[in-house]
Amino acid sequence: MRGGKNPTTGTRLMNSARFNDLTPEEQDWLDTYLDGTIEPDDFASLQDRMLENPALREVMRRYLALDSFLQNESLDAAESPGGAASPWLDQETPPVVDSAPAGKIIRFPKLVPIAAAAGLAFLLGTIVMQWTSRNDGSFVQTDTEEPSAQGFAVLERLFEARWPENSAGHREGTTLGAEVFQLASGTAEIQFFSGATMTVEGPAEILLRSAWEADCREGSVRMQVPPAARGFKLQAPSTEIIDLGTEFGLKVRDGKGHVEVFDGEIEVRHEDGEKQLVTKGHALGLLPDQPVAAVKTGEVNFPNRDQFDSAAVEQQRSDFERWTSHRDSLARDDRLIAYYTFDKEGNSPLIPNLTLPPKPGLDGAIILAEPVAGRWPELKSALEFRRPGSRVRVNIPGEYPAFTFACWVRIDSLDRWYNALFMGDGYETGEPHWQIKNTGQMMLSVMVDDSKPNPGAPNDAGFHRVYYSPPMWDLSMSGQWMHLASVFDPMNREVCHYVNGKQIHHQEIEDRFFIETLRIGNAEIGNWGRPFREDPTWAIRNLNGRMDELAIFQVALSPPEIARLYEQSRSERR
Amino acid sequence: MENDAPTDKNAEDSNYELFVRRFTHHEPDLRRFVRSLLPTHTDADEVLQQTAIVIWRKFDQYDPDTNFMKWACVIARFESLAYRRKMARDRLVFREDVLELMADEGMEELDSRNLEHDALESCLLAMPEKQRELITLAYTPGVKVKELAEEAGSSAAAFYMRLKRLRRQLMECVEAKTQPQEPA
Repeated sequence: MRGGKNPTTGTRLMNSARFNDLTPEEQDWLDTYLDGTIEPDDFASLQDRMLENPALREVMRRYLALDSFLQNESLDAAESPGGAASPWLDQETPPVVDSAPAGKIIRFPKLVPIAAAAGLAFLLGTIVMQWTSRNDGSFVQTDTEEPSAQGFAVLERLFEARWPENSAGHREGTTLGAEVFQLASGTAEIQFFSGATMTVEGPAEILLRSAWEADCREGSVRMQVPPAARGFKLQAPSTEIIDLGTEFGLKVRDGKGHVEVFDGEIEVRHEDGEKQLVTKGHALGLLPDQPVAAVKTGEVNFPNRDQFDSAAVEQQRSDFERWTSHRDSLARDDRLIAYYTFDKEGNSPLIPNLTLPPKPGLDGAIILAEPVAGRWPELKSALEFRRPGSRVRVNIPGEYPAFTFACWVRIDSLDRWYNALFMGDGYETGEPHWQIKNTGQMMLSVMVDDSKPNPGAPNDAGFHRVYYSPPMWDLSMSGQWMHLASVFDPMNREVCHYVNGKQIHHQEIEDRFFIETLRIGNAEIGNWGRPFREDPTWAIRNLNGRMDELAIFQVALSPPEIARLYEQSRSERR
Repeated sequence: MENDAPTDKNAEDSNYELFVRRFTHHEPDLRRFVRSLLPTHTDADEVLQQTAIVIWRKFDQYDPDTNFMKWACVIARFESLAYRRKMARDRLVFREDVLELMADEGMEELDSRNLEHDALESCLLAMPEKQRELITLAYTPGVKVKELAEEAGSSAAAFYMRLKRLRRQLMECVEAKTQPQEPA
């Protein structure tokens, strides 16, 4: 795995070492060294390795130079006009003149003190120039999302997982690449793309090398390897375990290992070169600097997937029950305009509005949208809007002083330019459009005056303003349930966006975009009913994903209220 | 800046002029060289300042017909070692033997660095615009990744991960462009 053993010579090394020749561990060291987050032990190991491995040094210099180049590129980009252009400001219609950037301006630190020798004024001069040109305030955050579905394993399930203090932790559904996976306690199930499944119990530290190889440094692991993943390698203390299509357990504590085969067989290769086949019902002790030795089976507990499954089902049930009682009390909240939970009721083509006292007139009509599993797959259903024509149509009469939209949604991908959550049909004066841009930005707008043209956009429906959040979604979040909320608050002249109970953006409603009487009328969930232009990339707005709860309030909920809404309806496991 | 060099100045001035030209011309390369020896850009900047001062002090010893960059690297190497001693308690500073190896080998790679720079330019251009903007922004001095992440509503860890991927992608691209297909 390690880079070639080039002899260190006084002349330039052959250009043979590449970043990918380094071990995943070395690659991680490089990144963490570069980011300044490397652990002292790792830094010591890195330096030891550097001394003995010229290839590592060579790659490292190239990587550090790249880092330095990038720093210079950034200076150039920040100085050239448009170099740091901001798709942030990309509006549904061209932005109205002078509109303040929706993003927050990034503050730069004060000029770093630079020791200036008398003869070096020129150096200082150029630096000051660079700083001021970046400091003119025009620099706003750019769109930051990119598809990042890289990696070779998925964190399939978690149960009571706790993470080490220095780790940000993971969520279910996260894609994992070459990295050290750490778990303080609880259980995690990792599905490798080779087909192998690893169930890990904390405290554990596993170095994930590829879809075919991992290194168990600490922890208790159960591997299930189907025939297609035969050959999966697991590094254990002083040995390497090669799976020959089986199920086995490995426990590593303080450098001592215990491996036990439940089914099929494995090959254990000791670092001194000795190989050994181990079959079902046998166990080996793996001790440093000692030959492997047969030990008794059944004396060590390994994480059990069945227990894990039933515990997960149990947790689902308790989360679901907590949510149903929340739902029942929310339905009586008289600030609600309408409330849908998308539960399938037999063959009914309707989704009921749950607000109490009942208002059956607000029930929604399901068109093409398909019933699918919801947040708690066994217990709750959702509607999927994957097909371009799918939608739920509603008619909601009345005039309202404010809007709060809150929904649970699982986005599979943002296929459209604009991906609908809740859209007023005609987008007439006072009607809302709540949607997500393909950049992952939430958008909320209300038509201010449909009789007035939108400056700079003669084809537009009328005078309005779109309030964008920063990007909050990328492909790596595909398939994860999330809680989205947006508030249109004329009284306080503010629009806010929330993700999972946390406010991610707020923006003032300026005088000219002020509107106080809000309406809905005919509208659609998950699509847009009456686009006023035919261009399909613009007009088709179905959401490629599913929704299993939508609440619309006629008041502006406060940040704590939104946080509570999220807390009471969330799943512990996500 | 390099045009219209005044001809009627005294020797000191024209010497200074030469120094300024050479130094500004090689400053990015020198910065990169120093950066490969020290933990952060800030450290590199500091050593670069000191290096510039020493170069100017010793400039009368410099033979204009020889390679300025090599000469400057020797001084930068020395200054980096001195800085290391001052900073030795910082846990991310290389040990002396490691630093010396990195410096000595780095001096032999200056040509490769230039090739890599060109390659990087084209790799950056070939990148999707959003990715390029993200990495450019993250590398702008003073921009805190944590704040960027917060504003984008993503966790700092996820953001670092994304940056890391982009950086590695660029590295692979640069290596593919500057190295022969066949592994040696």
